[in-house]
Amino acid sequence: MTTLATDPQAARSSRILTYLRPAEIYVVFLLLLIAIGPYIAPYSAYDFDPASSLLKPSWAHPFGTDEFGRDVFSRILAGARPTLLPAFASAVLGIIAGTTTGLICGLMGGRTDQWIMRGMDVLLSFPALILAMLVVTMLGGSTTILVFAIALIFWPRSARLIRSAALDIGKREFIEACRARGEGMGYILFREMLPNLRSVVIVDLALRCSYAILLSASLAYLGMGAQAPTPAWGLMVKEGQQFIQFAPWLTIFPCLTVALVATGTVLLGENVRRRFAISQRLAR
Amino acid sequence: MSGAENAVLRVNDLSITYGHGDHAVHAVRNVTLSIAPGEAYGLIGESGSGKSTVAFSIMGHVVGGRVSSGSIQLDRRELLTMSPREWQDVRGNRIAMVYQDPMNALNPAFRLGAQVAETLIRHRGMSREDAWAKAVDLFRQVRLPDPEQLVNRYPHQISGGQQQRVVIAMAIACEAQLLIMDEPTTGLDITTEAHILELIADLRQRLGIAILFISHNLRVVAQVCDRVGVLYAGQMVEEGPADAVLQKARHPYTMGLNGSLLPISGEVRRLKPIAGRLPDLRQVPQGCIFAPRCAYATDQCRTMDPQIQVVGKRHVSRCMFSELVPPADRFIEMGSRHAPGDSVAPQLSVVDLDYSYARRGMPLPFLARKARAKALDRVTLAIRPGETLGIVGESGSGKSTLARCIAGLRSPDRGAVRLEGRRLEPLAGQRSREARQRVQIVFQNPDSSLNPLRTVGDIVGRPLGLYNVVPEEERRKRTIELLEMVNLEERYMTRYPRELSGGEKQRVNIARALGADPEIIICDEPTSALDISVQASVLNTLIDLRTQKDMAYVFITHDLGVVRYIADRVAVMYGGSVVETGRTDQVFSSPGHPYTEMLLNAIPDGTRGRKALLEVEDSRPKPIQGVGCVFADRCLQYRGRECDEVLPPVRLGQDGHMVNCHRALASA
Repeated sequence: MTTLATDPQAARSSRILTYLRPAEIYVVFLLLLIAIGPYIAPYSAYDFDPASSLLKPSWAHPFGTDEFGRDVFSRILAGARPTLLPAFASAVLGIIAGTTTGLICGLMGGRTDQWIMRGMDVLLSFPALILAMLVVTMLGGSTTILVFAIALIFWPRSARLIRSAALDIGKREFIEACRARGEGMGYILFREMLPNLRSVVIVDLALRCSYAILLSASLAYLGMGAQAPTPAWGLMVKEGQQFIQFAPWLTIFPCLTVALVATGTVLLGENVRRRFAISQRLAR
Repeated sequence: MSGAENAVLRVNDLSITYGHGDHAVHAVRNVTLSIAPGEAYGLIGESGSGKSTVAFSIMGHVVGGRVSSGSIQLDRRELLTMSPREWQDVRGNRIAMVYQDPMNALNPAFRLGAQVAETLIRHRGMSREDAWAKAVDLFRQVRLPDPEQLVNRYPHQISGGQQQRVVIAMAIACEAQLLIMDEPTTGLDITTEAHILELIADLRQRLGIAILFISHNLRVVAQVCDRVGVLYAGQMVEEGPADAVLQKARHPYTMGLNGSLLPISGEVRRLKPIAGRLPDLRQVPQGCIFAPRCAYATDQCRTMDPQIQVVGKRHVSRCMFSELVPPADRFIEMGSRHAPGDSVAPQLSVVDLDYSYARRGMPLPFLARKARAKALDRVTLAIRPGETLGIVGESGSGKSTLARCIAGLRSPDRGAVRLEGRRLEPLAGQRSREARQRVQIVFQNPDSSLNPLRTVGDIVGRPLGLYNVVPEEERRKRTIELLEMVNLEERYMTRYPRELSGGEKQRVNIARALGADPEIIICDEPTSALDISVQASVLNTLIDLRTQKDMAYVFITHDLGVVRYIADRVAVMYGGSVVETGRTDQVFSSPGHPYTEMLLNAIPDGTRGRKALLEVEDSRPKPIQGVGCVFADRCLQYRGRECDEVLPPVRLGQDGHMVNCHRALASA
């Protein structure tokens, strides 16, 4: 009776879903960009062409060219991979660490939970960007280190979120039933608890992805991570900055790209969250 | 169905529908009832029968649904067409409601007095001072202790029974004409329930207020109400004087409900539950709505809509064959049972178990030093092979903690659980696989004890793999067998818990426990979340399994009727201690402990009117754990300092009857 009483609400939400569907198409488009971007680029992202340096946007160069005559549009296409792949990798890594930690805290509760979460609090007390800069400066600026640095930022944040949801699941009697049966920790965490938290994890992943794009762009802008001549978007903003007064397209287009990609990922996350919210409500 | 001329409330031909088109659920169909001034009208039915929907529609709340026909009149004023403004004058003022869960009805952020005063200031235009003074007076009327102090307290500082009294005080504050009570005692302990029922009877007598009393508990309804209406699948199937409906029911559904009631006296005989489940109200079938579950149904029942038949004085039934249906034979013989004698060595025993909660605090040693509340205090029990030990007690008596200690989910501070004399490790993870396999547990809450994302087949099949009960290729076959043992068919294998009813979920739980091929199953209130008709069939399943597989149960419940039905021996718990153990018939016929006497006395017996309750009037300080008797503050046999300061001795009666009390056993 209660399930059916909420029907009109579910109908309303599914309308929002159809409305939001473009977000998914958008993300598929992004993935395509990463995969085939460099191959469809009209010009090379690396070759200098002094004859056409600092051209305004035109039909031949939709986003203009930089001081070395490289096509900005092609560089942005080629930059999708070095910008997005480390971002996604770090988001996934951070979520894996955070989810595992959160699940353990949620299941164990009590003292274990307290100690782990206080440790997480220590990590949380560093401002995100400063922590990443610290790690990169200490361990060097390779992409791998960058990925780990961003994952380290996400770890406590994700752990916190998953823990709060896991505490609720961990108290349910089917988890107690598992313990009484003598199930192993791994089985309880990943086979019984995790599926019930999948919506939280997936939404968290989408949000962290967008945040990771911003972070890696910020770090590149600050000169950490990707180095010239890699066409990473953040780096492009940094390089274009010196010409901002007479060649603003050098900064505007990479900035816009970062903003659009980050927003798109957030929208997708929101979309997925709604869908899960509906299926879970119907499940009750 | 009957209409008094001067009715306070008149519900006429009310139909309520949720959803639209093919998904429309016809939750309430053509319900007619009227309540005379000062009358108490009981509305009973299983969950999903529409009784709460009716109640909420009288309060003007039909959330997500709509009234498709009919009228609701309060004092000849139509309620359904009222504007929100007019409703403000009616709600809380002329119709007041008492909800099932008092904790939800009270705002935790406000003082109790403020919540009562709010209604008075709003509806009666009282000044703040007057309203607070009146609140104190109302608290006195609902017999709350120390009203002057209590108005300044917050909801979480008082007990559940007291909270419900506050809600009742709020409801009677404006001298409403009609009081709607939606399962007001359902979440309460039996002794508290008895007191609230007594209070309701008393208020009715003094204030002459009309009451619409909604409950699934027939005995409670019969105790409070003059007239009773029975709802089934949104339709009124029988209505009449309370005692007539309870004792001489004419509709097969009401008979079925009565047949599911656990007797509290007389011979224990097998219950006859109602088969099947509630119909899908999206397509209301032709003919009698109860026909698919009715033992007496004929072809005529399935094709023709039954009309209301007068079957007695102001007693009507919606059954074509009310005259023909034989008076219910309520019970079938229960197979004779030979419980193991005293000489048999116990299979599972619990020795001197202590458990306290406070130590599990923050990891700061100096904070952990504060007084520990003991949830279990030197609990000693034994279960013989194939025996059913019932553990009864109110909430907070430690019975669930005990179940969890036995199952290895909590580690006791002291004492041990022994299986065939061998001491078990405190936590399940440390115990041997064999030990875990032999002792299984079934939890109380059917909704949270099954993983919502696993199919029934997965859930039931899991222990088979874990304990390697049968080789892999036979697991599926074995899973189906297990489901059949609990009366579920093979088609349930692929279903998810959300597709099951409460009773079916509990059967899956039992099947999962059986999968381990255990010798002892700990049942922690397995039927307390279920409707009585469903409870009856789940209990019967447990009893059949016990006979087939020679299983021992530790059966934990707050319901004395259930214990009497299923248990060979009973342990009564109070405040973390076992105060009495003995054979079930012994404990029920000659209780040795004053607390057991109080519990037995509190069971509503289905007769109307005030009951003389055994409870102390003066308040004595709460006893200190481990010093005197835990029950000293509520005991009617209180003997003063002896009870307060000396641990009660163990008094032995015949056949292992054991009582912890300063009073000598009558039978010894």
